[in-house]
Amino acid sequence: MSLKRVLSLRTVVSTSAGLTFSTACFVAAAQVASYLAGDAAWLAILVAGVLTLLTAAVFSELNGMFPSAAGLRLYLSKAFGEKFSQVVSLLYMLVITLVVGTETYVLGHVLNYAIPAISPLIWVVVMLVVATAMNLRGVNIAGAFQDFFTYGLVASLVIFAVVAFGRTGIHLQAPLATNGLGGLFNAVAVGVFLFVGFEWVTPLAEEVTQGNVIPRGMFLAVGLLTVVYALFTMAMTATVPGALRQTLLASPTPHLVFGEAVLGRTGVWWMTLTSLAASVTTFNAGLITISRFMYASAREAVLPKWFSQVNVRFATPQNAIISLFFVGLAVSAAVFFSGRYLTLVLMGSAMESIIYAVGAWAVLTLRRRLPDQERPFRAAGGNLLPAAAVIVFGVLALGVMLQNLWVPVLLGLAALACYLYVLYAVPRLKALQAAERDAARQARAARRRPVSTEAAAAADAPTD
Amino acid sequence: MATAEELKASLMDFEENYNANPKLKTMNRDWNRKVRVKATDVEVEYGLDLKDGVVRFLEQPPAEPDLVVASDGETLTSMFYGEVSPSEPYMDGTLKVTGSEEDLIRLDFVTAMIWG
Repeated sequence: MSLKRVLSLRTVVSTSAGLTFSTACFVAAAQVASYLAGDAAWLAILVAGVLTLLTAAVFSELNGMFPSAAGLRLYLSKAFGEKFSQVVSLLYMLVITLVVGTETYVLGHVLNYAIPAISPLIWVVVMLVVATAMNLRGVNIAGAFQDFFTYGLVASLVIFAVVAFGRTGIHLQAPLATNGLGGLFNAVAVGVFLFVGFEWVTPLAEEVTQGNVIPRGMFLAVGLLTVVYALFTMAMTATVPGALRQTLLASPTPHLVFGEAVLGRTGVWWMTLTSLAASVTTFNAGLITISRFMYASAREAVLPKWFSQVNVRFATPQNAIISLFFVGLAVSAAVFFSGRYLTLVLMGSAMESIIYAVGAWAVLTLRRRLPDQERPFRAAGGNLLPAAAVIVFGVLALGVMLQNLWVPVLLGLAALACYLYVLYAVPRLKALQAAERDAARQARAARRRPVSTEAAAAADAPTD
Repeated sequence: MATAEELKASLMDFEENYNANPKLKTMNRDWNRKVRVKATDVEVEYGLDLKDGVVRFLEQPPAEPDLVVASDGETLTSMFYGEVSPSEPYMDGTLKVTGSEEDLIRLDFVTAMIWG
């Protein structure tokens, strides 16, 4: 038997890489560079990329064991139980919502840089309205469109970096100066943000026919991202004049400062269009993933039933999408008035490191609990690789939290809120759903179609 | 354990409820899909043909489906009678779906709209 539609390796790579691209990544890349003394950002990005490959191996093993669109939610449930899985999934989605809010804020500044007459706040509202409308209408960038956006972005960033080096020549200053181990550590910890979401490709596991396409796609995507980000960041910091470098590193729109320095207004528009393409994939993937997560959670009675309301015309979870619009607007406004966009970028980095560490821990747990389960992909090196991933990403998460104390405070409060919600609210929602189901089941029992007596007898007969 | 007959009855009940729901006709007006329903314990397979907002039960499963829904007979029967949502067995790994994520979520929307 064969399915009508299957995804190719090319599309799996473009989806995995495309999910990580965002305008906030340019801020993170500049932040990486700011921790290092010279033009050594490539080194930190390379290390972050190699470490992310550990995670690609971890998620490949989990995906092979449970090839399901439920992804992380299912892996954690199998390894640690329902409650833990619910708390971590809710927390992860909450942080991703904050990152989407940050993305809107940064994109608002990008558009304001290109068209100064319109305030960033207006752009924020416009972008959120457009993203919400797209999601309500069920527009989903996938397949060939995803290929176009991702490979177009890769080409744009590589070509621009080459143009920048072509104009100034390659004059790297201290390309190995890491500002000590502390500087490199901090840069790598933030560098993890550049790869946020590459593993979200695992829900496509049911759309491929060969089991190894997803793992291969993830490895290739991480490799591609490492090269592209390293090249672009190096060009960004090495080709701008010294005085402008500090402005660039402290700006919410570093790539526009870079674009202007290299090609003037043409560079600004080049980077603005690149940003828009990067944000489109973030809004698309982020909002669709979160709204569907909310919908599925409501169907499981983890969130109130209201969130499972479906739009009949466009077949989309309308209440979940509209709620996200207001949450996104609130986050963007909070970031706009507080100016703390870096805090949310760091929260995203810390959360991603936590997810990577927990995923690796799940691999270790499942190897012990389900030793005979089929594993089409097994992370090499026995337990050494997942154990190393737990330690490395655990330490990186701590490192990010120490850079900005708001990060552990906000993450801690969010985790506590999710835990209390799962402990007290979810059982009530489940009880309510069970009561409704019982009543409906009794009503339907009478409606169940009678089956032939021979078939019923055969089913009831004892087997040898 | 549900029998093949019970699974068939649940699919026919699903067909009846689906076709009686005008909202589903609107929502799925251009969602034309062939679904293979596979009971892993009683080793029986049926099909559903969704076309122009109308569903038709198929005694013979489609050779080239868009979506394959596989689980034990009891889970499938309960699901097509609306006693459980597909999300629940799906999330705990009991229900396996092969096909597009878009189609999977649409199938869940359908059951949500029939049974709430």
